[in-house]
Amino acid sequence: MKASVEWLSEYSDIDVDAITLSNILTMTGSKVETVNQLGNDIKNVVVGKILEVKKHPDADKLVVTKVDVGTEKMQIVTGAPNIHVGDIVPIAKDGSDLPGGVKIKKSMFRGIESCGMMCSLGELNLDIANYPDQIENGIMILGEKHEKDIGKDIVEVLNLKEDIIDFEITSNRPDCLSIEGLGRETAVSLNKPFKNPRKNIDELKIEDKKDIEGLKVDITAPDLCYRYVARVVKNVKIGPSPEWMVRRLKACGVRSINNIVDITNYVMLEMGQPMHAFDINSIAGKHITVRRAKKGEKIVTLDEQERILDEENLVIADDEKAVAIAGVMGGLNSEIEENTQTVVFESAVFNGGSVRKTAKKVGLRTEASSRFEKGLSAENALRAANRAVELVMLLGAGEAVDGKIDVYPTKQEMKKIKLDVERINSLLGTNLTKKDMIDILEKLDIKVENDVVISPYFRMDLEFVADIAEEVCRFYGYDKLDFTLMKADTTLGIRNKEQKIQKKVRETLVNRGLSEIYTYGFVSEKDLDMSNISSEIKKYAITIQNPLSDEYKLMRPTTVPSMMQTLAINSNKKNQQVKFFDLSRSYRNMEKEVENGEVPLQEDILTIGMYGEDVDFYSLKGILENVLESINIRYYDIEKETKNTSYHPGRCANIKIGIDTIATLGEVHPEVLMNYNIKERAYLAEVNVTKLVKYSRTNKAYSEVPKFPAVERDIAVIVDEKVEVGQIEKIITKKSKKLLESIELFDIYRNEKLGQNKKSVAYSIIFRDKNKTLSDDDINTTMNVIVSELENKLGAELRK
Amino acid sequence: MKEQIAKMKENSLKEIEKCIDEKQLNEVKVKYLGKKGELTVILRGMETLQPEERPIIGKLVNQVRDELETLLQKKENEFKRKELEKKLETENIDVTEPSKKIKLGTLHPITQIINEVEEIFLGMGYQIADGPEVEKAIYNFDKLNTPPDHPARDLQDTFYITENILLRSQTSPVQARVMETQKPPIKIICPGTVYRSDSVDATHSPVFHQIEGLVVDKNVAMTDLKGTLEMFAKKCLGENTKIRFRPHHFPFTEPSAEADVSCFVCGGKGCKVCKGEGWIELLGCGMVHPNVLKFCGISPEEYSGFAFGFGVERIAMAKFGIDDMRLLYENDARFLKQF
Repeated sequence: MKASVEWLSEYSDIDVDAITLSNILTMTGSKVETVNQLGNDIKNVVVGKILEVKKHPDADKLVVTKVDVGTEKMQIVTGAPNIHVGDIVPIAKDGSDLPGGVKIKKSMFRGIESCGMMCSLGELNLDIANYPDQIENGIMILGEKHEKDIGKDIVEVLNLKEDIIDFEITSNRPDCLSIEGLGRETAVSLNKPFKNPRKNIDELKIEDKKDIEGLKVDITAPDLCYRYVARVVKNVKIGPSPEWMVRRLKACGVRSINNIVDITNYVMLEMGQPMHAFDINSIAGKHITVRRAKKGEKIVTLDEQERILDEENLVIADDEKAVAIAGVMGGLNSEIEENTQTVVFESAVFNGGSVRKTAKKVGLRTEASSRFEKGLSAENALRAANRAVELVMLLGAGEAVDGKIDVYPTKQEMKKIKLDVERINSLLGTNLTKKDMIDILEKLDIKVENDVVISPYFRMDLEFVADIAEEVCRFYGYDKLDFTLMKADTTLGIRNKEQKIQKKVRETLVNRGLSEIYTYGFVSEKDLDMSNISSEIKKYAITIQNPLSDEYKLMRPTTVPSMMQTLAINSNKKNQQVKFFDLSRSYRNMEKEVENGEVPLQEDILTIGMYGEDVDFYSLKGILENVLESINIRYYDIEKETKNTSYHPGRCANIKIGIDTIATLGEVHPEVLMNYNIKERAYLAEVNVTKLVKYSRTNKAYSEVPKFPAVERDIAVIVDEKVEVGQIEKIITKKSKKLLESIELFDIYRNEKLGQNKKSVAYSIIFRDKNKTLSDDDINTTMNVIVSELENKLGAELRK
Repeated sequence: MKEQIAKMKENSLKEIEKCIDEKQLNEVKVKYLGKKGELTVILRGMETLQPEERPIIGKLVNQVRDELETLLQKKENEFKRKELEKKLETENIDVTEPSKKIKLGTLHPITQIINEVEEIFLGMGYQIADGPEVEKAIYNFDKLNTPPDHPARDLQDTFYITENILLRSQTSPVQARVMETQKPPIKIICPGTVYRSDSVDATHSPVFHQIEGLVVDKNVAMTDLKGTLEMFAKKCLGENTKIRFRPHHFPFTEPSAEADVSCFVCGGKGCKVCKGEGWIELLGCGMVHPNVLKFCGISPEEYSGFAFGFGVERIAMAKFGIDDMRLLYENDARFLKQF
């Protein structure tokens, strides 16, 4: 909401400059976005009279003039074609400033000195619309009436100074979407009396009538239209508005149209009540009905667009058709025309939510709708209608018709709140007296009677003691509140298990050289396809109704596409040796949770993505094992996975605890790499952190440091290539029983001599009995059992 | 006899002095102190002496032996040290050659800010809470005093899945969930991902991160909110940071405020980061609205509380001097490694 300081000063004495005023208002809650001080950029430009015009001796297009600027007569060279002796013009003297940082200095034009410059509209940053008798490409001619102003500053003479403050008004204060509301805030903030220039309007009594000039009004939707006031003016002369009105409208960013339309805008800006004016003759049957639209009902709005409505939307209609979308925009069919004779001013109040929905549906957010949707006071509607009529008379734009039509089915309720001094002080941490509070409230026109606060009609936001506390605090001063720390029972500040694990996982990964990335949870169907995500998982994806674009249409059921995209971006940028992790979520609509109004499955997923010379499947596996180790998960199985379509079928594994898969890791499927245009092997892992939390043990138990010596034995077996070393290890582990301390694979050897598709796998096994020293016999027995089991189960052959 | 011993001592000392390495030293040692060494021989010939001479000579011999041994030891140590010095000299390395370190990764700047904020509030006795990102509208709005027709629902431009399920536009639904399930005193912060329908540009992202805080207890006052946030600002942004409250409006707090901090880049003098104002808008906050307490099953008559919330990206950008929000989500390795 923009407001000129000049207009605000109608409500309050303002004895500070615009910047100071802005700072004060910001600190009392009317936040200032910008201050625009017009006219400040014009300096040393005065009114001058042309005394003489002569041809330039050396230039056909230039003339040499003599100009009277009051204090002196100076010579100016100009190329402007529209000047004559006797013209009164703006003169930028030597050393003057013009808008846009232009500086004017004495200079020579083809050997003739020019002591300044005559100015055009553009050079003074003035709009031709406000000076219709001027020309765009020539010097501004001020006219004879400025004869008396010669030598005076142009900024004063043309009244160019204007301070415009742009406020950010919060949604609870629609009353401050008006100069009146801001004027009241200004007065209280500056600790000045609020001058109410609308006192006459407040005291005005207008007779109620059933019809005026044949016009009748009915409301069939009192839940959506709380009040409808109509006042009529006749013998209307449509024409331009006076300069002061145009100027104030312009300061608020509103363009002047004609006197009647300008009055509706002026009243809206002044009082915060949107108005609508229409030609009484355009109303079929002269009968206004405020009703719900019919399904599919059409209306062409003032902006010449056709809008289609339904029963959710409210319209102002005559006996045949809708003439306006209530609270949003008028219809083209009832627009004020040049020849309009009788004008109806509509000042109505609608349900905010309904206007909001309608504006959204028709895709039209107007000055009116954005006010209505915040909830306006029905009490204000009559004042606004009366003010509009008053302005018509003031402008001589028409004659008032006696009486008003005032249909007011839904009375505005005036809220009463107990002035609980103790509660307010305890909420604020202050020590104010009742009198302090009442003083502040009364300045804001909020009455207090018998310790009960009565919210005024324009303050519909005041409902609770907390609201009163805020009013008190705003003008006591937020900056005067102390800084205290609570005196309360001790509470424990500690991370829970899940948070500790996440922290640990991040630390481990960073220590292993991985960098963390952050990705959007959005994916597109194309992304899922590019990552070869199976249809089984794709069907869990959650669709956003109003996505920013197709690219961001789904909530990802898997984090793989997000990581692949990141790897692709880095590969494309030629970043080498990339190791990333992402600790984020996947979102899965497993069993129609979303459709049933429930929250879908959202699990924390650790995603790892890597490529580069020093990474392969086993380095990735090592990283994952380090992660598990760091959070104390020691027992798990690693099993080959051949069916996950995002991964290389021969180079993918699942990590399982029991039957629960907690992670998948592997080389990215070559097809997927191709889809992302990644030209080298890349590695990917997905770890379900939500599950890890379940399996991570937080208690660690000490076991005695061994007293008896260990025995180490090496064993090498030749097996078929297809036998996984994991199978060998399982057998060794199982058959060693409690004697096994550790087992380490130290060599895998392949050679033609071993036979086709054979490999030799060598282990170093350490045995220990915690109760005695193991004898050779003990070990030999165990080793024999192991070897025969390997032979039987895996067809292994002991390598001698 | 005495002269013989004295002579031998003199000779031996000279010989020891002349030694140039351990080997020679050892030879001297054997020559005098070995099994057939000169001194040993004298000692063995003691019995041929007069009984009254024996103790005198014996003492003398022992003295000489001690003296020789001490000198030999000293000389030996000297040689050992010289030898070691020689060895050390050959083992000289260039310490400026590259190390064998493992290249560490980095935590994302957003995580770093969240961690920092978490530590501060953990220290003040807060717990960390989180909840679903795909959330029920009732938690994102209704319970936070934002009924279906409330204009705030429009302002926030929320992503909807269905009419009742949405992507949370703030982390406040976590607060509502905690209030519903825990009894006061409640002291939590809720860091998390939030979603708003903003197109991607240098200062906007449809996905971003918030940290909100909530305290509900008996007699919690607005001055406590100010004190807590001042403490936070000083710990997070520097001990000289000042904090300023301006009145504002949020549906879920009343009274509400926006808090500015003195610019932590220029200290309040005015610079590019604070756009010359000396203050940076940091967060929104206020006293928990009585309706919010009521809707979450806490008596507004008995309890009061405060809440605050801010965007993590904004702080990360200001603190690390990042001028484009897109960098945070592009994940270029060359960007990430700087943190």
